[in-house]
Amino acid sequence: MLALSALGVAGAMALTACSSSGSSKSSSAGGVTTINLLAADYGTAGTANSSQTYWQGIADAFHAANPSIVVHVQTIPWTDYQTKTTAMFQAKQYPDILEGDAPQEFAADNLLYPLTDVMSASTISNLIPVFVKQEDTNNIAYGAPFTTSSRVLFYNKKLFTQAKIASPPTTWAQLESDAAAIKALPGGNIGYDMPLGTEEAQGESLMWMLGNDGNYTDGTGKYAINSANNIETFQFMANLVKAGDTEAGPATQDRKTAWADFASGDVGMVGGSGALVPIINTAGKLQSADWGDVAMPGKNGPLTTPLAVHDDITAFNLGGHAAQIKAFLDFAYQDKYQEQFDNEYDLLPATSSASAALSASNPVDAPFLAALPNGSQYPTNSNWTPVTKKIQNTIGAAVASPGAASTVLGELQAFASSSNN
Amino acid sequence: MTQTTHADALESAPGPGRPRRGQRRPESQLRRLARALEPVPWVAPATVLILFVVIWPVIAMFQTSGQSFDSMGFNHGSAGWSNFTKLFDEQVLDGVLIRTVIWVVVVVGVTMLVSLGVAQLFNKQFPGRRVARWALIAPWAASVVMTAIVFKWMLDPNNGAITVLAHDLGIVKQYNATNWLSEQVPAFCWEMFVAVFVSVPFTTYALLAGLQAVPAEVYEAAKLDGASVWRTYWSVTLPLLRPALLVAMLINVMNVFNSFPIIYEMNGGNANSSDATSTIFMYTTSQSSIGEAAAMSVVNFGFIIVIVLLFLRASKWNSAED
Repeated sequence: MLALSALGVAGAMALTACSSSGSSKSSSAGGVTTINLLAADYGTAGTANSSQTYWQGIADAFHAANPSIVVHVQTIPWTDYQTKTTAMFQAKQYPDILEGDAPQEFAADNLLYPLTDVMSASTISNLIPVFVKQEDTNNIAYGAPFTTSSRVLFYNKKLFTQAKIASPPTTWAQLESDAAAIKALPGGNIGYDMPLGTEEAQGESLMWMLGNDGNYTDGTGKYAINSANNIETFQFMANLVKAGDTEAGPATQDRKTAWADFASGDVGMVGGSGALVPIINTAGKLQSADWGDVAMPGKNGPLTTPLAVHDDITAFNLGGHAAQIKAFLDFAYQDKYQEQFDNEYDLLPATSSASAALSASNPVDAPFLAALPNGSQYPTNSNWTPVTKKIQNTIGAAVASPGAASTVLGELQAFASSSNN
Repeated sequence: MTQTTHADALESAPGPGRPRRGQRRPESQLRRLARALEPVPWVAPATVLILFVVIWPVIAMFQTSGQSFDSMGFNHGSAGWSNFTKLFDEQVLDGVLIRTVIWVVVVVGVTMLVSLGVAQLFNKQFPGRRVARWALIAPWAASVVMTAIVFKWMLDPNNGAITVLAHDLGIVKQYNATNWLSEQVPAFCWEMFVAVFVSVPFTTYALLAGLQAVPAEVYEAAKLDGASVWRTYWSVTLPLLRPALLVAMLINVMNVFNSFPIIYEMNGGNANSSDATSTIFMYTTSQSSIGEAAAMSVVNFGFIIVIVLLFLRASKWNSAED
């Protein structure tokens, strides 16, 4: 009956200690080089919609054009991604190419090729500029954006009509009164759904911070989580919660629940990306005329620099196949594959040319694409990964009461500026 | 031992003197050594297993608490005591520790009381006793994670079974207006309720076994002496039940102290660990700082040691009184 809790942490360490000096199992035999690709699965594993199918298609076409290189594809569902990859990395099992995680921490551990070693200059220059500097560690890019998305406010036109609201909100004050009006309708609807639970609290928080000229960092890149503006933002959010204009208990609400609730028609407004569209369509409760999307309201007007996020490609240097990785990445970043991915998963491309092509062909994506070049991103500080985790686990408490914001944001600031582990 | 005595006896027999004795000594020492090592092949596997499974992780845990790890598991060297200072600087830590004590005391206390009653009931003859006893095992046989998730769903503010019932009874005025699991006190109360719910079956069975071991003669004797029902319970049943009570209590205390899935599944310990116990807090901390979580584990480990020592003391007192 030893403290199992203790065994948990120690066990993870034991794994690290046990595994032999691992590099990926990439190999060169008989003139054929195998490189390993590990990617997040944006679809459903085991179906045609699985990202395994998407990547295998590219790998096969690439192998046909480059018979001396085989790309071995492995995908992990997003829901298990963090747990499974962390276990793999802690056991020192690295792929040659990783799609999903941010590069900062890997770069700090000297595991990555600089981007210029594994991607040709023409491909790099085609990446949407606003995301590129995100990949830097000490001014060297170690990763490339692979897929992007931007956030807007989704609103339920049915509920807006019922509550006699003429147009979607553009300011916080309007959002507040609209949410109150929807909440007052019979039937127990939710005015604004504010997911501050562990799944995506960092995204929802930043969407709100941006509306009051705030962010996690200041202009110089130093953490400024408890800035006066951010505290004011969370006080406003806390007042919304207190007035009952949001769902009950935002601190434990996950984004997937918020989106599912919006799709089921009980929610007036929610922040979302293009990935919410297929959820709405699958639920079948709202027709396309029943909902709309507009820029997220800010304190005094709609956000002109909305939250834009991206998932990354990084290349590990342990297998030593820079040339083969470069050939494959240049191949995989072709417009047709970028567009195929985005049409399949309702996400946005990471290259300028694919973005232009998609704007023309996909009217649903056009507003999201237009917002991308001015997007605001998460910090690039090397300890952002642990700071994100801390934000996900704690920031919901900042809306427990209007007085809680400065304490909770202050603790986060202290953690962020002191931690390097 | 016999071998040595035998050898000594031989030597004391008339015959060659010191030189020969000196010659024989190394051989007998070797034999002695061989004798002493004889159990090793039998005991070694278990010893190695204990070293590997119990002792080594404990050492690794202490080591981890003194190192600076990043979230990819890379060791950035010694952290000194900084993981512990960081842990003790956490503003939520006091709340976490107080809540851990409340959690253990209330859950174990209520569990013991309920189980005493239920065990008494199940010790009586009544029609359908067998079925009732089987039914009692169900919450224990079911996975704790499953039970926790079922309760979480039943408490859903929009359409959970308990919410709907409370709404129909007029306790909840409107759907989606309160979320018990996201408010500190109601959430913690529900979590304690579920913890009692899953602890009662085992405890009841432990106590029932104790009750069935009480010989019928002592009750007859009490009856002959004209003792009342309560008097019999206090002076006969409870003292004879004490060993079963102590074992059930210790196992419960450790189990409840280490309990993770209930709180984790029901609301993840809530934002900023507002209803986390030390185990939950250790887990959430491990996501952002492995070293600090290891420090929390060391503290937890200390608690377990203290609890075991207290128990040993209690059981000593128990045997002394008997």
